[in-house]
Amino acid sequence: MKLDVRVEEKESGMAKVYVQGDVTIQTSPELRKVLKPLFVAKQQEIHVYLSDVGFMDSSGIATLVEGLQWARDMQGRFVLHDLRDTVRDVFRLAKLDTVFEIAEVGA
Amino acid sequence: MLENSLGDSGEDLEHSQIGKLMFQLNTKKDCVHILRSMVEVMAMRAHLGELESNRVTLAVDELFANIAQHGYGDKPGRVEFEAKLHINHHRQKELHFEFRDYAPVMHMKRFTCGDEKPCSASDVLPGGLGISLMHSIMDVVQHEALPDGNHWLLIYICKSDGQCEGEES
Repeated sequence: MKLDVRVEEKESGMAKVYVQGDVTIQTSPELRKVLKPLFVAKQQEIHVYLSDVGFMDSSGIATLVEGLQWARDMQGRFVLHDLRDTVRDVFRLAKLDTVFEIAEVGA
Repeated sequence: MLENSLGDSGEDLEHSQIGKLMFQLNTKKDCVHILRSMVEVMAMRAHLGELESNRVTLAVDELFANIAQHGYGDKPGRVEFEAKLHINHHRQKELHFEFRDYAPVMHMKRFTCGDEKPCSASDVLPGGLGISLMHSIMDVVQHEALPDGNHWLLIYICKSDGQCEGEES
């Protein structure tokens, strides 16, 4: 199973990350590899788009938690967009749905 | 005492064999997709809704991942898996998932945070979140230490209306 991750970096210090595929124990290292270089001081906002993610397990959540920690440490914004119901449900079960900044669909 | 009939379809689970799947896996991470497919098939046979099916699949996936990572330490290992659909004596459908591994006996620490407050990022410890999710989804999580490994049983009681808490009708 393949995970596609595409990054658009803006000069304004904002990065948009588009994720496609299932984020699992097998594929989450791919996502981490892409996100990690973005966790630098010059970046102010990271927006992760998850509309094409149908399944996410705890390793995927843990990877995104690293983004949350970056945002806390650097006073940046780490925003999740377009979560499918199944993925949003996992955040809810983990009681992390109110901890992450989750934008409404299309925002 | 479990009954054999599926109830709503009238099919006999024991004789039709639709109520049981068995598989021998190894702990290579790509096996998680095979496992997930099997669980999705069982969820479909139990007529679970999308969120309920996703939750059950997630819980089974998390246990397998823990066996692979923490039981076998990411080394190759044998895992036997069995999925069964039962009707219990309350006429509720139950999905039973059993794992047998040959790894050293595991003692999984359950990740907890207060029921009334959201977790914080610092609460999320490697491995612990998956176990917590598994416990919050499954009605029964049993572990038995064996002389040569571990036996795990997960039981999920299917919701009568096919919907999960938080799922809109």
